[in-house]
This record gives sequence, structure tokens and C-alpha cells, in this order.
Amino acid sequence: MNRYLKLVHMEVHRFRWVLAALMGLTAILQISSLLWIVKRELKLRAEQKLRDLVADSFSVPPPENLTFEWAMYNMQFWFILPILISISVLVVYILLIWYRDWLGRSTFIYRLLMLPSARCQLYWAKITAILLFVFVMISYQLALLSVEHFIFNLAVPADSREESHIVDAIKANPALNTLIPRRFEQFLYSYGLGTLAVLVIFTTLLFERSYRRVGILYGLLYLAGCSLVVFLAISTTTSGLRGYLYPGELFVIIIAVCIAVAIASIWLGLRLIKRKISV
Amino acid sequence: MQTSEGWSEVAFNNRDPVYLQVVRHFKERIATGHLQAGQIIPSRRELGSLMKINPNTAQKAYKEMEEQQLIITEGNSPSRITDDAKVLEQVRAELLGEAVHAFVASVRKIDVPIEELLQLVKQQFEESGGGA
Amino acid sequence: MIEVADIRKRYLLRQVLKGVSFTAEKGQITCLIGVNGAGKSTVLKAIMGLTPIGGGAIRIDGRPPGPDLYEKVTFVPDHLTMPAGMRLSEALTFMEDFYDSWNKERARDLMQFFSLEHSERIGSLSKGTAAKFNLLLGLGQDSNYILLDEPFSGIDLFSRETITEVFTSDLIDGRGVLLTTHEIGEMEHLIDKAVMLRDGIVTRSFDVEDMRSGEGKSVIDVMREVYRG
Repeated sequence: MNRYLKLVHMEVHRFRWVLAALMGLTAILQISSLLWIVKRELKLRAEQKLRDLVADSFSVPPPENLTFEWAMYNMQFWFILPILISISVLVVYILLIWYRDWLGRSTFIYRLLMLPSARCQLYWAKITAILLFVFVMISYQLALLSVEHFIFNLAVPADSREESHIVDAIKANPALNTLIPRRFEQFLYSYGLGTLAVLVIFTTLLFERSYRRVGILYGLLYLAGCSLVVFLAISTTTSGLRGYLYPGELFVIIIAVCIAVAIASIWLGLRLIKRKISV
Repeated sequence: MQTSEGWSEVAFNNRDPVYLQVVRHFKERIATGHLQAGQIIPSRRELGSLMKINPNTAQKAYKEMEEQQLIITEGNSPSRITDDAKVLEQVRAELLGEAVHAFVASVRKIDVPIEELLQLVKQQFEESGGGA
Repeated sequence: MIEVADIRKRYLLRQVLKGVSFTAEKGQITCLIGVNGAGKSTVLKAIMGLTPIGGGAIRIDGRPPGPDLYEKVTFVPDHLTMPAGMRLSEALTFMEDFYDSWNKERARDLMQFFSLEHSERIGSLSKGTAAKFNLLLGLGQDSNYILLDEPFSGIDLFSRETITEVFTSDLIDGRGVLLTTHEIGEMEHLIDKAVMLRDGIVTRSFDVEDMRSGEGKSVIDVMREVYRG
């Protein structure tokens, strides 16, 4: 257990700069675009006010007060961009977390496979690290959101701003809405499927690392097989069996299939790393 | 340690057993007076690293020398060269005998009368500072 | 004793090991000799469970390798296998964290003996220094056996001399050593036993001193017979 935690710590330690860079990038892009949008809007409003004064027209009603929700809605592109970059980097790292140990002048995999602790800990440490990175990034995004809210309040004068709840801000932005589902069921679906995908990809990689060229074929077949099973489970339950079963039962079937695929992937992955892997 | 010099310069040949070459090196050092009767010799490990040989080989050489009564090991005390003058004299005689044997074998090929040969040897021996 | 019995290994269509058998005793230095590509490294990797074998068996002290394999047997590959960004001190901590058999004091002494700098990074070590540190990682464990893949290959003369010193010291004494080489060179006098590998099989396996006293042949003489004959 202790060594497992040490392995997790090592994996996090090796990725720390990338994680820090992603966090930095997200903060810079989101905060600067927020400031830019707010400043532009305030400037526009000031000009409008001036024009209204000159025209001396009372017909135009004063614009609504600004909310954080409004800002979220209006800065979608620059807000989503760093999130997409982070997601892509993490997806690529699902591959690299294994391959980096084989690549380069120092092939660390020799050492890792020769650790006296059971080899499955290596597998668990890597999957834990990936999940940890994902949740760290999400919590960071949530924390950053509060910071952005605070910055928004500083940038916008109190008389042209209206308080809004952070949940409404999340709702206003489709990216956040997907990343941070408010229903537990939805959360389970998104992150459960994501974890499942990582497990299946791990097994595919381990096939390749164990049997090399032939392994690519085995791996891709396995990947295709798993995708098909999960896809069939989801599509037949939502269309074919819909009339016969209650939604609760359909949900159970999908969950059962996913758990079966997950267990198969873990079992195969552990077996490969224990007996078949090659440096 | 007084024994450290002269050990590492030994050039072994690859075809004779290394442990016998080590034994021979000891005999040469005894014959030349580098090793005195009763002098303490390096431990097996020390000898291994001094002569760049494997400790097993050093062990084997010491065993051989013990059998030839060249060295004495009592209990846990370090091994030392024997005090037995007879054995030491024998070493000297053995090395001398071997050298002469080799010399004779190589000059045998040349047809030379023994008087002339002895004369030549005597001359060379004196010229090279003899008597040592 | 490490016992390798009739092990086989195939890479796709190429049969690399065609039934390799030999033993390496504790307290002896056994040298696995063969030209490049003869399968020497594969044998070591197979013993360490770093590559699966297609047949045959490996026994360590009479038993198949168990979970304590990596505490009892250490492997020094032909290159340093620590991440390039790691400092030497971090690598030592890593070893201490994961191995019960890690001997901290010995590692510290060896750092001094090899004049290695704790703050240096793995990636910035010269070839000779990297070889020394690699050896340190292997010797730092209190293991019964140590396997070394080409410990003298591609490093400068002085590093070679330092490493040779290790083989004649008490660091090795009492352990079983199995090393590979493609040129016997300066190791001729260091080894107890030679095992010659050619085209995936063991062609000769002998005690080097017995060979010298019995047949008057050096290891190189036998190598000539094996590889030229």
C-alpha cells in the first residue's frame, strides 16, 4: 500500500510541470478574456451613455446590469480553449504515461518492472494518476471560477453589476455544464465511461507492449470489441428494449455491461503486465 | 603497507592457471628477497584487489601455497611466509633450476661447446653488475 | 545457484534462444560470452522476468523465481534506467524507498569511491559516470546474485579500471555474479566460469582454471575454436 502511494506520488511528480503549465495557461486565457470582455462592454456602455446624453433622448431604457453569468456566456471560446487543450494533453498522456518509460535513453521500465512490490501496483498507480490529474484539473477549474467571479466583481463597478450565483454561471457555459454535471447520475455516466475508456486503452497499450507488432492487432481488436459491446448495450437499451423494460432496469443493464468490460480490461491488463510484458 | 608495491605490475598470461601464476609470483618475491621469512602477507581479499584477480583465485593460490608449506596460516591470524629455511632454500633452488633449464633448452638449438657458453655467461653476468 | 534450463525465446519468426542451459554458482563469477546478437541480454532479461520465455525453466536456489526475486537478484542493464531528470540523490532515495535489501551505507561509500556528485542529474552524466552509477544501483542492494549486462562496454579506460576494482573487492565477494560480454579482454583473469553462447545455444561451458590446467587454453583460445571453427 505504502509503495503504491509512493508510485502514485512519483507519477504525479513526473507530470507536475505539465499540470502546472496547463493550470497557468487556463488561468491566463480565462482571466484575460474575462477582463477584456468586461472592459469592452463597460467602454461601450460609457460611450452609449455619452451619446444618450448628447442626444438628450430619454426613450432608450438604461441597459441591464452586468452579471457574472453574462460574462460566462459571452466568453465561451477563450474559456473553452484551455479546457480543450487540457483535455487533449491528458488524453495524449494516457498513452505517454506508459510509453515514456520505454522511450528515451533511460528506459525506466526496466527499473519499474524490477520493483519488489507486485507489478499490479504499477498499473493501479498509473490509472490513479490519470484520474487524479482529471479531478485535479476540474477542481482547479472550479476554484478558478470563484477567483474569476471575484475578479469580475472588482472590475465591474457595483452600480452596473448584479450578483449571480456561481451555479448559474456554470449553467451558462456549455463546457462547464458538461464537465461539472449537477446530477449524480450524469456524473457517474460521464466519468464512469471516461474511466472505462482509459482502462480499455491501457489494456490495448499493454497488448502492444507485450506482443509488439502482433500486439497492435490484438490491441485494436480488443479496443474494437469493447467499444462494440458498450455501444450495443447503450443503443439496444435505448431503442430496442425500451418498450419492455423500465428506465431503471435499462440503466442497470448498461452499468452491468460497463462493469463487465472494466473488469475484463483490468484482469487482462494485470495479467499482461505480470506475465507477458517485455522491456 | 610495505607489501603493496610490486603486486599490481604482474602481467598474467592467459594459458597457465592464474592461481599457479600467483604462486610463482610469490616464489619469485621470496627468491629475490622482497618477501622475508615470517613476513605477513596480504589477506585473500587484499591480494585479490592488489593483483586484480577474483578472490576465489587468490583463495586457491593460498591453498596451494599452504600445501607446499610456503605460507602458514594459524587460526584467525593473518597468513605469513614460512620460517622454514629448508623450504625457502628449496624455492630458490626451484626457480634457479627452472631458469637454467629454460636457458639450456634454448641454447641447445645452437651448436656451442660448453666452455664457450660458460665463458659467455660469466662475462654477461659480470657486465650486468653481477652478484646481485 | 541460478539454473537456466532449456529456455527458448522467439521474436516473431526469429528463434533467439533455442534451448539455453547453464548454471551460475553463488560466490563465483560466471561470464556469458557471445558475439552481438547471440542472445546474451535476452538470457539475463529472461532470468529477471523482463521478457517472457517460450519454454524451459529458470530456478534460483532450486526454486522458480518468486515475489522476492528482485530483492535477491539484482540486474544491472547495459544502460542506466532512471529518468533523465532525476538527481542522483533522488535516485538513491527511490531505491531506498522500494527495496528492503537496499544498503544505504554501502551506497554512500560507493558514491564516494566512484566520486559521484549527489546533485547531478541522471541525464547529464557522461558515459563512464553513468556506468559507475548504474553499477552502484546494483551493488547497493544486499542481494545474493548480481547480473550485469556488458559492464565494460563503451566506457573509457579509467572507468573500466575502477569497475574492474569492484570485481576484485569484497563488494562482490560471496555473491554470485553473472555477466555478459562480447570481448573477454581484461576480464580473462577475473572470471571463474565461462559459458559461450552462439546462435541461441550454449556451445561450451567450463571452469576457466580447469581449462588452463587441463588443456592449456585461455578463454580466448576456446572462443576462437567456437566462433571460427
